[in-house]
Amino acid sequence: MKAYRKHVILALGLLAAGGLRMSWEAPLTREFRSDGLLAKPVETATREKIGQTSAAVALGGLRTLVATFLNLKAFSHFEAREWSELAETYDLIVDLAPNTPYYWTTGGWHLAYNSASDYLTRTDLPALRRREAWRDSIRRGRAFFERGTRLNPDEPSIQAELGALLSNSNKLLDFPAAAAAYKAAADTGKAFPYVRRGECLALARIPGRELEALDLARRLYADPHNRLPTLCCVRFALESHADPSKDPLKLAISIFGDPRSAHDQLGEYWVRVQERYPLDGVASALKILESILLVPADESVFKRALQPKETPDDWFRGR
Amino acid sequence: MTARKTIPFSRVRRVAVIAGHAFTQLVRMKVFYFLGFFAVIGIASNFFNLPQQSGPEALGDNGMDLLRLIKSWSLGPMTLFSVVMGIVSTALLLPKDVEDRTLYTILAKPVPRLDYLAGKLLGVLLLLFVSLALMDLLMVIMLQMRLSIVLEVQASLGQSRGWDAAAIESLKQDTLAQGPTWALQGAVAAVFIRSAIMAAIALLISTFSSSTLFTTVVSFLIYFIGHFQADARDFYFEGGEAGTSAASRYVAMSVSLVFPDFQLFNVIDAVIQGKTMELIQFVKLTLAGIYYVAVYTIASWFVFSDKEF
Repeated sequence: MKAYRKHVILALGLLAAGGLRMSWEAPLTREFRSDGLLAKPVETATREKIGQTSAAVALGGLRTLVATFLNLKAFSHFEAREWSELAETYDLIVDLAPNTPYYWTTGGWHLAYNSASDYLTRTDLPALRRREAWRDSIRRGRAFFERGTRLNPDEPSIQAELGALLSNSNKLLDFPAAAAAYKAAADTGKAFPYVRRGECLALARIPGRELEALDLARRLYADPHNRLPTLCCVRFALESHADPSKDPLKLAISIFGDPRSAHDQLGEYWVRVQERYPLDGVASALKILESILLVPADESVFKRALQPKETPDDWFRGR
Repeated sequence: MTARKTIPFSRVRRVAVIAGHAFTQLVRMKVFYFLGFFAVIGIASNFFNLPQQSGPEALGDNGMDLLRLIKSWSLGPMTLFSVVMGIVSTALLLPKDVEDRTLYTILAKPVPRLDYLAGKLLGVLLLLFVSLALMDLLMVIMLQMRLSIVLEVQASLGQSRGWDAAAIESLKQDTLAQGPTWALQGAVAAVFIRSAIMAAIALLISTFSSSTLFTTVVSFLIYFIGHFQADARDFYFEGGEAGTSAASRYVAMSVSLVFPDFQLFNVIDAVIQGKTMELIQFVKLTLAGIYYVAVYTIASWFVFSDKEF
């Protein structure tokens, strides 16, 4: 057979075989994509940013490997306190591996905590610029977590990290959003037990939602594993808020078990004013408990210094 | 009657002999030395546990991420090694047989050219299979060792923090999903299938190319184009709505008709992230691989059938 004829037949044969596989290839790709087995193709912008070599490797089916190496690069930016570069690197990482919660939680943590804390202590910048950089870092961290939750709605760890950030009194508080994030995480059924408690503690700090918080606190308290000091104290305050006529001593003993435990736990809770937990009935209970336990006046919890109840804006004032 | 019955068996035996010879030929090129590098990479992956944020009761997050890291660092080199080996060893075989004049000796005998090609390809596939099986074994051993440590730490921390049995069990199941699972074995099989397709493509190119270098370079180009094939196909089907020119759509169509869709085999990324591949999905992937290999092998035979040396 003549060479050109052979090549034409070969080309036609390959095209025909290609046409045959069209019927199952495209639906199979769609099926794999909808089942989460295949990620969306790498965006052109991402390909440009990661460089030709890495793009070739990523396109060669090694996206997670490129993401792993970029994560090492991001760590170098963290060590060198290069926050803009770190943010850009994490944007690339999550483009390559959008379904790995580790990258979302670590990226958000670097932005909202490490970068923000760095700006807090940067003495080479004027206070106003530091405050703006600090706020901006936290907002970027929040936006990063939120993007991660939109792409991974069934992944509790990213939602839980978002909840922790938004209810952290050293950051920019947003208790309603924190409660919603914790709830979304807990509702997946795969979250750690502290997540539902986090939802309750966030709800307790939203004015007008105390009853909702109390209902959840009671349900959580029913499980002995959840009877941790903060939850018990919050339940005590919420019960007192719901019915101020309740006897503080009886209520405290019913929740904490004995006067000594009630005194110790409520005492620690009383000084944590910066965290903005409800304090209904706590002072009255402590006074009664101190009289029962014969606590000397100079050892009274009311003599202890309270946590400074300052807002983050105060940190930058006068520094 | 007896002669008729023995024909298929003798054909199978003939292909097996050629495959065995090709395998031995490749093993003598000391290709298994790369396993040493693979072991080093696998061990190194254990030391890249970077600090991260963990919730107050996150018992095993770090451990689970380390397991994911080990899988990523293992499957990445597996893909690279197998694709490189699949292409280079196939590209070497035909020119080497011509150079050693073994080809003339074989083709002078009543050996159908299809059997010769099938034998060579099977030899390469056997090499890929053995290499991947060894790498897989190393990966599974490392994962299993690390998994045992992670589970032990989780269980003791869970107990010390008063977790109930259901919570500890739930975390254990999540952690086990990051260990050596059947889905992971499916991902290794996907790596094998992709490299087998590349070997078949390299075989096709080497039937009309006289240079090993040309075969290798073109095969690698096809490998990367194959990862754009799905994009080209989408462009062909959806490009018309976006007002793109007919010419560019036809180019996209040609790309999607001629080149294989390698993006299908990127399921390994999802498995590394802990996703499960169903058996039916694995079967579909395998059938797709068999189709590609069969088409390119038949095309190779078509070119090679009356080639003169």
